Amino acid sequence: MLEAQNQTEIIQYVPFSSFVHPSFWHTLTEMKLEVDKLKETTKQIFGRFTYRCDIGSVFEVDGTSFNKTPHLEQQYHHVMGTIMNKNTIEDFKSIDKASLLNSIGEMIWSNLRERTWITNPSALLNFFILSFADLKKFHYYYWFAFPAPSQPTVHMKGRSTKISDYFNNKQLETLSQCYKSLEENQKNFFVVIKKNDDLSVKKLSEVFDVNSANCIDLDLVSTYFVFADPSNGCNPGWPLRTFLAALLEYCPDLAKSTLQVIGLRSSMNGDFIKSLVFSIEIPQDIKPVESAGWVGWERNDKGNFGPRLANMSTSMDPVILADTSSDLNIKLMKWRLVPDLNVGVMKDTKCLLLGAGTLGCHVARNLLAWGFRHITFVDNGKVSYSNPTRQVLFNYQDCLGGGRRKAEAAADNLKSILPTTNSKGIVAHIPMPGHPIGDSLKEETIGDIKRITEAISEHDVVFLLLDTREARWLPTLIAAQHRKIVINAALGFDSYLVMRHGISTSSDEVATLDKQYIEGRYLGCYFCNDVTAPGNSLRDRTLDQQCTVTRPGVAAVAGALSVEILVALLQHPKRVDAPALYNFNKTEQEIPSQIEGVLGAVPHSIRGFLHSYQTIAPTCTKFKQCIACSDTVINKYREEGLDFLLNVFNSGSYLEEVTGLSALHLSAEMSEILTLTDEED
Amino acid sequence: MSSVTYTDFIEAAKNFIEISNRCCDGWKFIEHDKDKCYLRKETFLNYKNGDYERLLKADYVIFYKESYCVPSFSFNVWNSAGMLLSLDDIRTMSLISINKKDFYSVVTQQEHPIFQRPYFIIHPCHTESVLAAFKDKSKNIIVTFLGLVCPLLNINLPLEYGM
Repeated sequence: MLEAQNQTEIIQYVPFSSFVHPSFWHTLTEMKLEVDKLKETTKQIFGRFTYRCDIGSVFEVDGTSFNKTPHLEQQYHHVMGTIMNKNTIEDFKSIDKASLLNSIGEMIWSNLRERTWITNPSALLNFFILSFADLKKFHYYYWFAFPAPSQPTVHMKGRSTKISDYFNNKQLETLSQCYKSLEENQKNFFVVIKKNDDLSVKKLSEVFDVNSANCIDLDLVSTYFVFADPSNGCNPGWPLRTFLAALLEYCPDLAKSTLQVIGLRSSMNGDFIKSLVFSIEIPQDIKPVESAGWVGWERNDKGNFGPRLANMSTSMDPVILADTSSDLNIKLMKWRLVPDLNVGVMKDTKCLLLGAGTLGCHVARNLLAWGFRHITFVDNGKVSYSNPTRQVLFNYQDCLGGGRRKAEAAADNLKSILPTTNSKGIVAHIPMPGHPIGDSLKEETIGDIKRITEAISEHDVVFLLLDTREARWLPTLIAAQHRKIVINAALGFDSYLVMRHGISTSSDEVATLDKQYIEGRYLGCYFCNDVTAPGNSLRDRTLDQQCTVTRPGVAAVAGALSVEILVALLQHPKRVDAPALYNFNKTEQEIPSQIEGVLGAVPHSIRGFLHSYQTIAPTCTKFKQCIACSDTVINKYREEGLDFLLNVFNSGSYLEEVTGLSALHLSAEMSEILTLTDEED
Repeated sequence: MSSVTYTDFIEAAKNFIEISNRCCDGWKFIEHDKDKCYLRKETFLNYKNGDYERLLKADYVIFYKESYCVPSFSFNVWNSAGMLLSLDDIRTMSLISINKKDFYSVVTQQEHPIFQRPYFIIHPCHTESVLAAFKDKSKNIIVTFLGLVCPLLNINLPLEYGM
């Protein structure tokens, strides 16, 4: 037992672990951007550590580290140190770390030799940070060093013991009281003398004489050298290392003696009962500090001597912050209200907006709000002075100089709302049936058709937001052929239509009429509706006439509904095949479960009338002789391609012949004539 | 149902600080603006996952939520490099004692009304109704509130608060 007590081992100091507060990076960035700019600087900063017994050997820095005076905190000690911030990563990597540490050490040592530490013990504490800040990416490379001389090497006699083995409660109480009355810079290192039963606390300057070159008549039995100990284990903390080196420089005669050292550790309530006493054996030959180098670079997370990286981009990069905050809106919907919401599908869905006018702008805004990030505009026009008040992506600047191209301005302005939006503008004219194409424009038209076809094939959803019925024909056909989701919106003066198209099917099967709903793929397109509802009222006919003047609210409502229908569709397990109810006014219990998606049932179409503030949700099947989505037309397009298209554009009646509609119209006329004849009789 | 007013909150907060100082629990009372005061505590967290051990720091803020007339608990956690933990990190590290399915209904991330930076906010179930039920019987509404929050975050609430 006694032998174990006398067994000596080389002292193991507990190194500091750096701990950076996020505000440290914020302040460093501010200083770099506003004060230092391109200058490479070495600054004085403050760090701190605690001698609380429940916290380990942690060395902290935060935004206040850059203040002129540190913010005092209970049971913490402040340490003055230096930060050297390099301007390039190459400089950061290439600087010789060993010689840097040695030169810092040499500076520290020459200061210590002047023995200012006797009157100002805080001078024994030091730290250094080597850093490089990549302010584009908000990546901060950093490396802490706690410089200490590698010599002298001392030994610890036996294991550390509790302070209560040496001092009774009354003495500990005295220690606490006297400690409180010490000045801040004296609290790091001081001396305790225990004579008989009396305990006294002495500042270093009361024990050592700065001017005397020689030693002290200290009775080592009754003297305890005290240091504020960051370690909370059985080994002493890092500050002891430099303390001992300074002591031995001051008094080399301490060789071959045993020093009693108190590692001061405070409990939560401020008493020192958890402090430890170390017996330190000084060797006979004390190697001078100058003979060996300095140690103290901190090991990184992997335990190697290397720098650390703080990647602060998610909390500091404004573009990333904008992106994640916008995503958060959608996630909150999911977390709080709709747990089954698939938040990823919006981000992955590519939307093509044909038309960057009133409808196009409203649809784009609503898509952004729902988390869509891939949006392409197709429009041939330029922003005119009348546009900005109704077309919500444009502003006055876009009108100047003849006006920016709408498709491009819309794409750019979306990015100014959310920088991470993947938005693009395509300038193209959509050729229309019955609008002949002259030879001079033939090549350009073929180019437009090619680009529109490519755009449709590269996106998942096509929004038809054009200002005429005829312009919708070509994209309806191409989208039907490519089996894309199509959302169609059309405006009248005070009415609107929003609908989804069915997709082409390979089978001849047609939906039966007695079901409550129609499967998504059998739903009609814009042109199916047109013909299957002959004799529309005058009001309907005013939909979609070019240059329609509309009540502004109509565009906003239709734009919003278009996006809501799309999202409801995407959230439906059957997606584009989601069935549409015939009667949308049924109460919730009566709706069959296979109809509903996460956001409820999805209608086929919505017609709204602002005049009466009413909406209806009609549903209809595909029309076998539809001029846009019937098999006849799709097959002809597949077989004849461009030639078929050009025929359609050049003739007003070609489509109706191809689909047999002209015959239908004729028979309808005939039956009218027959009816009238009957009545006359 | 009577709710907690801002004055009630401030009074309870000042009271709370006195107890905190007595048992050295580390909470501070900060007057941000005349009508934006809050309680704050920074503390180290030791995260252990099998062999893997990491030291983290947590910033707890108890503030008053005007729109709901209740105290609200917000926090952030960062590692030794100063990097903030994400909501997903908080969830997978089970720093909150709740099963993963219910996690999102209890913890969310929002722009903090006082600091204008992202913070995690905890909604303990039925805060308003529980606090209203306890309002007359509780000596300190903030202690009662913390009693709802602490089990979720594995925070120890010293007994001194109850005395």
